[in-house]
Amino acid sequence: MSDARTPRYELADVQPGYVIIEREMHSSAARSYFCAEPVPPKEPYREGKQVWSFWEMAQSFRFSVRDNQTGEVVKFDELLGLLYYACCDHESDLYRIGELAVGNRIFIYVALTYEAPDGSRLNISLDKLAILNRAFNERLRTANKKILILPDYFGLYKEMSYGQIMLDFGLTAMEEKAESPQ
Amino acid sequence: MKLQEIADKLELERLTPVFDKDVTGVYISDMVSDVIANAKAGNLLVTVQVHANALAAANLVDVCGIVVAQGKKPADDVIKMAVKAEVAIFSTALSRWQVATKLYEAGLR
Repeated sequence: MSDARTPRYELADVQPGYVIIEREMHSSAARSYFCAEPVPPKEPYREGKQVWSFWEMAQSFRFSVRDNQTGEVVKFDELLGLLYYACCDHESDLYRIGELAVGNRIFIYVALTYEAPDGSRLNISLDKLAILNRAFNERLRTANKKILILPDYFGLYKEMSYGQIMLDFGLTAMEEKAESPQ
Repeated sequence: MKLQEIADKLELERLTPVFDKDVTGVYISDMVSDVIANAKAGNLLVTVQVHANALAAANLVDVCGIVVAQGKKPADDVIKMAVKAEVAIFSTALSRWQVATKLYEAGLR
């Protein structure tokens, strides 16, 4: 018999690390990846005709979600971070939808994923997002409150800055930076 | 223990309305990722972080309120976000350590 106090879903295998953002020297394209090394690599490297170099990093973590009923563990390695609707441009569709949802005590976050090596976005399935939503909603105590984590159907990755995502910039960076990474 | 009772005992400056919530414990952190991973619903978050993402993380894990230490105060837009999320924000000139000791003296464990 399951313990009523034990949540079905919970975060597991929480691994602290860094989100590393790198830029291509010629095109200024940016991409990011998770690094669990104690000292993240910062040396430029060549990839075909492209030269990628370290740009910025933020403390973050990687995790899985464990289903305590089935024992299944689902990894969320593709998840770069969550973006709260209220941190978006107030003229954006997401902000307007978020404001509507708040009226019903639903708080919208968008799951942003890392880039693949070719620059395309990694996919996070709706099944996995359903698990993530259950895991965060099970943690809530406030009555009638709901968290809704959506996929990036808004194409936010094209226009958002990494600083808008829920990451810990500025806590580890030793380099002087005049601008936040875009 | 109610949030209002804590606010009174520590003489916290109220930057938002004090919502009627129970305080189940305390979590002290300045890292958004740490709050998401480890804070518990109903915790009172003690921090010096005033960025909007701190509020976003606090709301995600359903902390009952935020005490911003060392005299810091979030910008008006963050306070408005907190009101919508019904996450009370307080400010105090005390350090995080002083807040922690006072919360312990108030009976929170």
